[in-house]
Amino acid sequence: MDFQNRNNTANKFVCPSDRQLALRAKLKAGWSSSKTSEPLRPEEQEAIISVIRRNEEIEVAERQRVGRLVERVEKIKQHAVERGPNCCRLCGDTFGILRPQRILCEDCRQSVCAKCSVDINIRYHTSERSREIWLCRICSETREMWKKSGAWFFKGLPKYDMPRSASATPIPNPGPGSMAGDTRAVQSCHATPTRPARVKKLTIRVNDSSSSSSGHSEPEDEVDTGVGVGVGVVGGGIAKGIASTRLQREDSFRLRAYGSIRSFIDGGERKLSNSFFFSRQQSQRPSECPEYDSVSMSKLRRESSFLRRGSVSSSWSISDSSGSGSNNSGNSQTQSQYQQHQQQLQQHCRDPLLGWLEIAISYREAFHSLDCTMVRARDLPAMDAAGLADPYCKLNIITPEAHTKYTRWQRTKTVHKTRNPEFNETLQFVGVEPEELGNSLIYVALFDDDKYGHDFLGAAKVCLSTVHSTSQYRISVPLGVEDQYSNAAEMAQNWPNGKMLLSLCYNTKRRALVVNVKQCINLMAMDNNGSSDPFVKIQLKPDAHKNKKHKTSVKWRTLNPIYNEEFYFEASPHDLNKEMLILTVWDKDLGKSNDFLGSLQLGAQSKGERLQQWLDCIRLPDHFHEKWHCLAPDNPAH
Amino acid sequence: MASGGDPKWQKDAADQNFDYMFKLLIIGNSSVGKTSFLFRYADDSFTSAFVSTVGIDFKVKTVFRHDKRVKLQIWDTAGQERYRTITTAYYRGAMGFILMYDVTNEDSFNSVQDWVTQIKTYSWDNAQVILVGNKCDMEDQRVISFERGRQLADQLGVEFFETSAKENVNVKAVFERLVDIICDKMSESLDADPTLVGGGQKGQRLTDQPQGTPNANCNC
Repeated sequence: MDFQNRNNTANKFVCPSDRQLALRAKLKAGWSSSKTSEPLRPEEQEAIISVIRRNEEIEVAERQRVGRLVERVEKIKQHAVERGPNCCRLCGDTFGILRPQRILCEDCRQSVCAKCSVDINIRYHTSERSREIWLCRICSETREMWKKSGAWFFKGLPKYDMPRSASATPIPNPGPGSMAGDTRAVQSCHATPTRPARVKKLTIRVNDSSSSSSGHSEPEDEVDTGVGVGVGVVGGGIAKGIASTRLQREDSFRLRAYGSIRSFIDGGERKLSNSFFFSRQQSQRPSECPEYDSVSMSKLRRESSFLRRGSVSSSWSISDSSGSGSNNSGNSQTQSQYQQHQQQLQQHCRDPLLGWLEIAISYREAFHSLDCTMVRARDLPAMDAAGLADPYCKLNIITPEAHTKYTRWQRTKTVHKTRNPEFNETLQFVGVEPEELGNSLIYVALFDDDKYGHDFLGAAKVCLSTVHSTSQYRISVPLGVEDQYSNAAEMAQNWPNGKMLLSLCYNTKRRALVVNVKQCINLMAMDNNGSSDPFVKIQLKPDAHKNKKHKTSVKWRTLNPIYNEEFYFEASPHDLNKEMLILTVWDKDLGKSNDFLGSLQLGAQSKGERLQQWLDCIRLPDHFHEKWHCLAPDNPAH
Repeated sequence: MASGGDPKWQKDAADQNFDYMFKLLIIGNSSVGKTSFLFRYADDSFTSAFVSTVGIDFKVKTVFRHDKRVKLQIWDTAGQERYRTITTAYYRGAMGFILMYDVTNEDSFNSVQDWVTQIKTYSWDNAQVILVGNKCDMEDQRVISFERGRQLADQLGVEFFETSAKENVNVKAVFERLVDIICDKMSESLDADPTLVGGGQKGQRLTDQPQGTPNANCNC
């Protein structure tokens, strides 16, 4: 190899010394960073991609399994009566002498009757003794879920997809003809639109130039190019179906989030919060695309009646067809074919759609430059409680060796408060040789812009093999899930203020939020010695219980302090929906005022991962939910 | 259909009837027998022909352990360095590692420490590790004694087995032990601390540094 020859002649690259090895270990780039490796051959790429695909199927099934586990616990919780200390938490039976015996649950310390509790035998493997404890059904199910989902290992629930229950099944416009109560067809239909996403996720071939029509390229283009297995003509109804499935998913996410909050509110308040929730949903509606309005409304109606009655009713289909049936009455023939075909494919179509991205690519040979215009994205995942996001794109070129070509990722501007951003921004890659086009990919990752960390929204790869210097290529691609490149893109972000590992837990016994400040890393150096003396201040705002502010100890002369300190904030779960946890990191200075190092805010108004942690913490009390967060440079107190 | 029409694999992979899902990873130098080890366990087959693994592969097997069905997704990684970027991407999700060396190959034994560093760097911090010396049937070519292997395992604070994928020695035992360790870890993290669940910090841990460590300078 050329590289090695150079080594010999220049004699500059010798065996790494201890110091070099130590530095390399700090880089955490692995051993491979020191060597140039042979590029992966096409057949190797093929083999790896097929493994990744197989794994994806398992992962999707796994996400759904975890979703079912979560749903199960949530259902039990919703059925809990919670009448008071003298009644069983679950079934509401009053305790007494001739009445059911009162049992105290080990985890939540609430009274339950024997019927509604489980006694489990805990074996201590180390000491060979066992102990019997009683758990209420909610807590025992939660423990089971914690084990079965792997959350015990990852210290927090892994990603999951909530199962779409029968009533929440989107029924994406089966035309009036196919409405004859064939639930199987309906279900398969709800799963199918994601098929193109699956096929296209890994390598997207821009081989159908006719699909890259100018202007708005409609979703059916993607269906055609993407499936490529003979689905045939797919009408606008299906496209609409994709959109509505997507919408549906988001709605159910929101419902899930609010539902979990609601389940903590006493039965009496439940109705109230319901109306609060729905008014909120509607107020947020105008920000969505107008064309989806009728669909989303019918969805809402469906969802809302589902929530109230908790059972399936035939009225969904009627409201659905009235909502969007007019568009697709002509397509019922095609659709039933489509459904039939899709029934066969059903089991492979479980990927969630993360939205679509429209890109235009052109190559200018004279300048060796590749111009990538991020036109727009649609139906991105919602990131905050209002169901909106602040998306931006990061781009890089991936070489045939599966490396990123540029160390610096290109980035578009952020488009705020939308799930359908219009980027219209052109990013230029220079130094792209014409022969590179044949086997390189352009990689686009979308992130949600937030002060405290950029959450992943979706990613897409586009083959450059069909990009020519003569014309511009325009294509809409479905966005896929995270992979090594999106992680790399995320890593490349600069967080000068460092990160914090925070563990949250709602303790039902003490009715308090437990905040465990685990550690910080890469803090800023503020003192002359190139180090800092960091400590963390924690407060809950606005505080209904008048908790005092807390402070961790000071860790002297370090930029990576480990605290592992726990603080309790008294609060009811209901309160927590209005509270905001504010953490600020300071550099302790003696004799002068402390220097500010960074801040973090968590609450129901947070976005993305932070919101997820907050909601998980409320929804699954008595478990620690641990996550890394980025620290922002501004002080929230000012 | 994404997979290449392997009915057995599909049966196991599509099977949703299980309680826990554990992801395990087999790592070690090239040609120590990781793939053979996995094939022996999952398919009970062995071939002495050497085919280098391309990047990554996995097999799925559901086992019974303490009257629970445990679905194992066992990742077989390429030992060759050129695939390192791909293989390390999968460290993060793994609950258990089988770190393998070849008792007839001194180099593979000397690399164990490097592999441990890799685990520390890329895996979740409570991932469990078992050290395995493979090819113990080849007594005449052995260069690493059982004692040396055991000492290293003690030093690393992990369990140790000598195995042979060819003669089917200890293959099942390794997986069973790893599943047991993870199960123990699981009940420890939840049941042993009934007050506040989820923060299990005890037990054998390889890392002193937590994972998820971001790297602002990472240019990969």
